Amino acid sequence: MIDPLVIADLSRQIEAVLFIASRPVSAAELAASCVADPAVVDQALGRLAEEFADSRHGMELREVSGGFTFVVVRDCETAVEAFAGARRPDDLSPALVETLSVVAYLQPTTRAEVARVRGVSSEWALSSLEERGLVEECGRADAPGSPILYGTSGRFLTLFGLRDLTDLPPLEGFAPGADDVEELRERLVAHAERRRQ
Amino acid sequence: MSTLGLHAGELVVDLDVFQGPFDLLVTLVLREEVDLWEVSVSRIIADYVLRLAESHEFDLEATSQFVVLVAALLEMKSRLLLDLETLGEDEEITVEEAGEELLTALVRYQQHRNAGEWLKARWADNAGRIYRRVPLPACFRRAHAGTERLPASLLAAAMAPLLREPPLPDTSHITDVAITLVAELRRLRSLLAHEGGFTFLSVAPRDRLEKAVTFFALLELHNRGEVSLHQARAFADIRVTAVRPEAVLAG
Repeated sequence: MIDPLVIADLSRQIEAVLFIASRPVSAAELAASCVADPAVVDQALGRLAEEFADSRHGMELREVSGGFTFVVVRDCETAVEAFAGARRPDDLSPALVETLSVVAYLQPTTRAEVARVRGVSSEWALSSLEERGLVEECGRADAPGSPILYGTSGRFLTLFGLRDLTDLPPLEGFAPGADDVEELRERLVAHAERRRQ
Repeated sequence: MSTLGLHAGELVVDLDVFQGPFDLLVTLVLREEVDLWEVSVSRIIADYVLRLAESHEFDLEATSQFVVLVAALLEMKSRLLLDLETLGEDEEITVEEAGEELLTALVRYQQHRNAGEWLKARWADNAGRIYRRVPLPACFRRAHAGTERLPASLLAAAMAPLLREPPLPDTSHITDVAITLVAELRRLRSLLAHEGGFTFLSVAPRDRLEKAVTFFALLELHNRGEVSLHQARAFADIRVTAVRPEAVLAG
């Protein structure tokens, strides 16, 4: 049993580090900064999250993009936006979301692989996602021509509220149902028949 | 005889299987209306290089476009070779198999579309969240220059290595090809005009790579109907004889 006073003291230290940090800070970094045992840090983080929960403060603790950080609570966003001129990022078009999904699940992946899955050239979509900082180059493939490899960025995790890539649900879970596959098959056969005639 | 511009769109190729603009050839190959097996890519490249040299102009954009199209043709041709090696003639894909492949691709695509819907919902919920993103105060940054003034001599000593010319890399292992295809074509044509013929070994340079350029130039002259080649047996010297213009016309 760890002394509650130790936990309380550590949670104050963590709060101070997160107040000064400009990016999410991992539990390991917090443990190193506060010279504390990782297990105790976990408990202190739990206490801190509880303290900032239920809109008791203007911000709450959140684990995102590989670390912990403070985020403005929903009902205070309008005031912050008015003060800082913050603006919600432009929405993503269906083509961009589709391309992002392929990169997120197949990363590191090449432009050709993305085009192969989508069935259309994805050059524009990839460039646009790169410009928005959601996708970034992460090396070159060991294949003829050494094509560029793409992966998702830390900003992608933040904007989608993900702790890390393991937060993405398994791709298998998005497979169409047996009925949908059968319907697809029937449509393909009907199309082939029409072409034969 | 081909008439060649330097833009791929203007580049007119004259092959056994196709005569017309080069970019149209690529389009027809893509539509499988021209058999890629029959297209001599090396011939197209040789023609282009020759015309490029004769024009005394180098348009980087046009040449890049040409290189991209030629690379596409080469890729398609190499794929064709690989496909034939892995698939026997009697193992051609059936309509049913093609249908199954297409279905698999569509299912995979649908999976990503559905995953995209999930991402879209996450985006709607999270993209607008405002995280702490104020930069770390400068006084808290780990590395910072001291406040004391540094002597100018120290700065000079730090900068001096940057101003020194780096040693030239050793390129002695790279073979310098002294002759080009265009220059070799000119030399052989001049020899043919004066002597009417010669043997390959008598005119070929000593260097192996340069010898290959001479051989390629001879093949080019033969392709253009300017010379006839005769070799008595395998590995024997090649006798090159100029073809008179009337003989070309008659042939």
